[in-house]
Amino acid sequence: MDTDDETLLDEKARRTRDLLASFYSPIPSASSNNPFSKHASPDDINSSSFQPDQYMKIMARKSSLEGLLQRHVEMVAEIKNLDTDLQMLVYENYNKFICATDTIKRMKSNILGMEENMEQLLERIMSVQSRSDSVNTSLCENREHIEKMHRTCNLLRKIQFIYDLPDRLGKCIKSEAYADAVRFYIGAMPIFKAYGDSSFQDCKRASEEAIAIIVKNLQGKVFSDSESMQVRAEAAVLLKQLNFPADYLKTKLLEKLELSLRDMQFITAVMENDSPSAHEASIHELVEAIRAFRVIFPDSEKQLVQLAQDLLTKHFLIIEEYVKTRICSEDLLGVLRVIWNAVLRMDEVLEEVSLSNHSLEATKDAVKLYIRSAFSHLTQDISDHLLKVLKRGGAEEYSLEVALDASIKAVFDGGRNVLLDIHKILEDNLEIVDKLRELIIDWVQQGYQDFFRELEVQFISFLGRNNSSATQSHGLMEGAQGVKAFPSLVLVLAQLSAFIGQTAIPKITEELAASFSQGSVGGYEYGLSFVPGVISQKFRAAGEKFLQLYINMRTQKISLLLKKRFATPNWVKHKEPREVHMFVDLFLQELKITGNEVKQILPQDLTKHRRADSNGSSASSRSNSFREEKEKLSRSNIQKGRSQQLLETHLAKLFKQKVEIFTKVEYTQESVVMTIVKLCLKSLQEYVRIQTFNRSGFQQIQLDIQFLRTPLKEIVEDEAAMDFLLDEVIVAAVERSLDPIPLELPILDRLVQAKLAQHRKQDLISS
Amino acid sequence: MCNATNAESNMIHMKRCVMKWKEHALVRIGVGLHKKVAGTCGYLCASNSTLRCGTSGVVERFCVQEIAMQAASSGIGYGLKYQARCISDVKADTDHTSFLAGTLSLKEENEVHLIRLSSNGTELFCEGLFSHPNEIWDLVSCPFDQRIFSTVYSNGETYGAAIWQIPELYGELNSPQLERITSLDTDPGKIKCILWWPSGRHDKLISINEENMYLWNLDVSKKTAQVQSQDSAGMLHKLSGGAWDPHDVSSVVATCESYLQFWDVRTMKKTISVECSHVCSVDYHPQKQHILVTAEHESGIHIWDLRKPKVPIQELPGHTHWAWTVKCNPEYDGMILSGGTDSTVNLWLASTNHDELTDERQVDSSARWVDPLLNSYSDYEDSIYGLTWSSREPWIFASLSYDGRVVVESVKSFIPKK
Repeated sequence: MDTDDETLLDEKARRTRDLLASFYSPIPSASSNNPFSKHASPDDINSSSFQPDQYMKIMARKSSLEGLLQRHVEMVAEIKNLDTDLQMLVYENYNKFICATDTIKRMKSNILGMEENMEQLLERIMSVQSRSDSVNTSLCENREHIEKMHRTCNLLRKIQFIYDLPDRLGKCIKSEAYADAVRFYIGAMPIFKAYGDSSFQDCKRASEEAIAIIVKNLQGKVFSDSESMQVRAEAAVLLKQLNFPADYLKTKLLEKLELSLRDMQFITAVMENDSPSAHEASIHELVEAIRAFRVIFPDSEKQLVQLAQDLLTKHFLIIEEYVKTRICSEDLLGVLRVIWNAVLRMDEVLEEVSLSNHSLEATKDAVKLYIRSAFSHLTQDISDHLLKVLKRGGAEEYSLEVALDASIKAVFDGGRNVLLDIHKILEDNLEIVDKLRELIIDWVQQGYQDFFRELEVQFISFLGRNNSSATQSHGLMEGAQGVKAFPSLVLVLAQLSAFIGQTAIPKITEELAASFSQGSVGGYEYGLSFVPGVISQKFRAAGEKFLQLYINMRTQKISLLLKKRFATPNWVKHKEPREVHMFVDLFLQELKITGNEVKQILPQDLTKHRRADSNGSSASSRSNSFREEKEKLSRSNIQKGRSQQLLETHLAKLFKQKVEIFTKVEYTQESVVMTIVKLCLKSLQEYVRIQTFNRSGFQQIQLDIQFLRTPLKEIVEDEAAMDFLLDEVIVAAVERSLDPIPLELPILDRLVQAKLAQHRKQDLISS
Repeated sequence: MCNATNAESNMIHMKRCVMKWKEHALVRIGVGLHKKVAGTCGYLCASNSTLRCGTSGVVERFCVQEIAMQAASSGIGYGLKYQARCISDVKADTDHTSFLAGTLSLKEENEVHLIRLSSNGTELFCEGLFSHPNEIWDLVSCPFDQRIFSTVYSNGETYGAAIWQIPELYGELNSPQLERITSLDTDPGKIKCILWWPSGRHDKLISINEENMYLWNLDVSKKTAQVQSQDSAGMLHKLSGGAWDPHDVSSVVATCESYLQFWDVRTMKKTISVECSHVCSVDYHPQKQHILVTAEHESGIHIWDLRKPKVPIQELPGHTHWAWTVKCNPEYDGMILSGGTDSTVNLWLASTNHDELTDERQVDSSARWVDPLLNSYSDYEDSIYGLTWSSREPWIFASLSYDGRVVVESVKSFIPKK
């Protein structure tokens, strides 16, 4: 029950408070949360919308009387409570009001004396003010004085400093404290500027002198190589502070650097195989110098780069000169390595791209030149070998074979060596070369192309040289001797050209392909610059030309011989033949020389030779039988008429197989000799045709030709053709003879035998 | 054989055109100059027909001609009776394309043939056949009178030269005699050639023998010739031939053993000489002054510019054996014909413009090289010594091989388009 009372009390208190609150505040917002107000209904006594009548009605209807009474009692009690509360409240308020009134009354009384006090205070403050002013004025004079004094003192100190400056500078010079000296001097500068002309003239002069010394010393320091970089840099900075013309300094230093660079020939050192440390040292020196310079003059980069470039250019020029001489790839690599090192080192210092680019360009040129010169040396070698042929007059032992072998070797080995050299260069992992790799490969191919072209031109120029008879001026040969040897040169050239065209070029092409396709990425690009097909075609053509020329030259010589033979005697008044004419000897001798040359140079045609052997017997027997027949004929012809005889020769010819005289020349001993013999016999026939013979003249020709058969048979390969041509000569002689009566066979035989015997004897003697 | 000789003797009296063909055939089979297989077969057939139908000449001629046509593909053939070296274009004959050819036979009676190309150009026939007393080494038709020509001849021992006139033909005669206008007799030197004044009617002639050069004054009407001036070639030099400059008629060139020697005809003095070995034939370029073409035994054909006589401006490879004779085309620039002892006739197209040539050489290096050899006519049996262009139809040339075969060919297909 207690708890019920308490809650009841609480309920009551709250209600009261709410009501009070509602009283003060007309908005019943505070009680909106009130659970009582929730059910705001007209019967709720607490709500504002309470309607007493309705409440009464509801009460009366709902409650019993007892309830109503109880309610009534409650209500009354409540009302009483409320009245008490209200009375208390009013009382309290009143109390407070009284309290406030009292306070106000007390305040009023307190304020009354205040004004007076304030006036007094003001008075006092005024007096303090006036006193302080008076103190101030009395002290002011003194203070001004003191300030003046202070200023003078400062000035005096400054003057003192300036007067002391020369001494101090002197001291600084002594102690080499240039930095202080410069600082002092610069400090004194404005004064000197202002009063230097009047008051401090002496002083200024003295200090300027001192400064001049300092400047000199500093310059000395800057230029001296023994000082450390730091010191030199400082000195340069100080000099700059002293308004010393820095440009002048710079140019001076640059000049010095240049001068030292000029003496720096590390490349030559490499070339002369000096110790590697020498050029290392010089490069080091150079780099140090450049570094120092950069420290001293930070803005001088451009000039330094220029300088370095000049240096590199100079060295590359030297390299180019060097490359033109015969060097091997190692030498080139050595040189390049050194210079590339130098470039890298300089790059470190200069941090400039253009330098390495520049050197890359230069290296490009150098390598290109190297390749070119390698090939030109090769060309030179080959022509040297060849020209030895012409010089062989003195030393006969230098045979054609040797010359040919040597030049073939030169072409082959030389070509291969160049390739190997290039390979070495490529395989060396020098950075600079790596960059040029593709280019180098391209150049090599180009080089081969040019080399072969050049070689061909050179070969042809050999001929031109002889034709214009400028040979003597070249000092290559001694007149007739050289001319004599010239055809052999042509022969060697022919074989060499053929060899190059057929063997060397395909081989080199192979090697090129093999060596570069693996290395380079763009494997088959080489086809662009090296066109083996065209070149070998060219060489083959040249070879044929040379061979033809050789044959022509040899033939020409014999032809001249024959021409003389036929132009000299008066054939119409020829005397009886006594012996075989000596032109036959000369003819055979020439053929022998040719044969010797050819044997040395050209290969034997094995297949054909065998074939010729196998049917040679039959051919010769046929021609023999034919000849016998003819001889029989001619013997019997003596009795017959001329026309009859002619008829028979012609008939015989008609039914004999026509021999193809002019066939293509091949690169074999047999073919060349055969061609020469054929041409000569044809010439012989032509010479006979333009003469007219009497009987003896005809017989002489018959005898000569008859004799020729035997030795020629040993020389030539195709006996049938030779016999045919010899017969042609006889026929021509018959046609051109006024009285074609041949020699009696026994006489013919006897004369031929005599000559043969003579030959044998000569051979014996000579052997 | 007897049969053949009989036939031969009979045929001398036959009508000339028919007879020539028959003879030709007989010479082939009877005297038997060697022939290629094809040729031989052809002539064998021909001879059969000859022997079979000795009287029906027309058919026979036709037959032979056909075979000749086959043998020489495009060429038209004609056979001389004997071996022969010289053929000449009859320049003065403006109505027909005619040639004169002379035979070279020591022992037989030599002949001069006047050969004419039929108007349709398919047939060669003999317009005249004249016996000549000696073997003929050189024959040149007079440039202004078609009936006059000169020959150089030899009887084996001595040489002589003469101007001849073809007698008026009245259609019916047999083997008429040539009328000798005059002989150009000088010292006994071996006379080499006669040069007529290059063009037009002129009374000057030049004869060249081994040692000397003579300028003659010829009077046709009076039938006389007199030496006007002469000059010797000099010691040890033997002249072998020559040419008269058509551009500058005062200049004559003669071929020597190792050089070309030029004479000024007015003063009969030597002028320049050009070094050139073994030269055997020379011809002036008919259109361009200073241009000269030479054929040399060994080294082929050279073209010279006389303003730069040191080196030839162009070299042509020539022949497998000697290049014997060379002739410039009278009409088409740069077209050169050469005959050689390798039994071929080569037709060349050479650039005679020097500047152009150097340009061309430069171009040469860059691989644009044109073979100057246009064509090689190789259907011959023996060396070619006689060669001439027709001046009336300049695309036609006649060649004469030693075996006496005349072949006329047309080069029309090779003439460069302008």
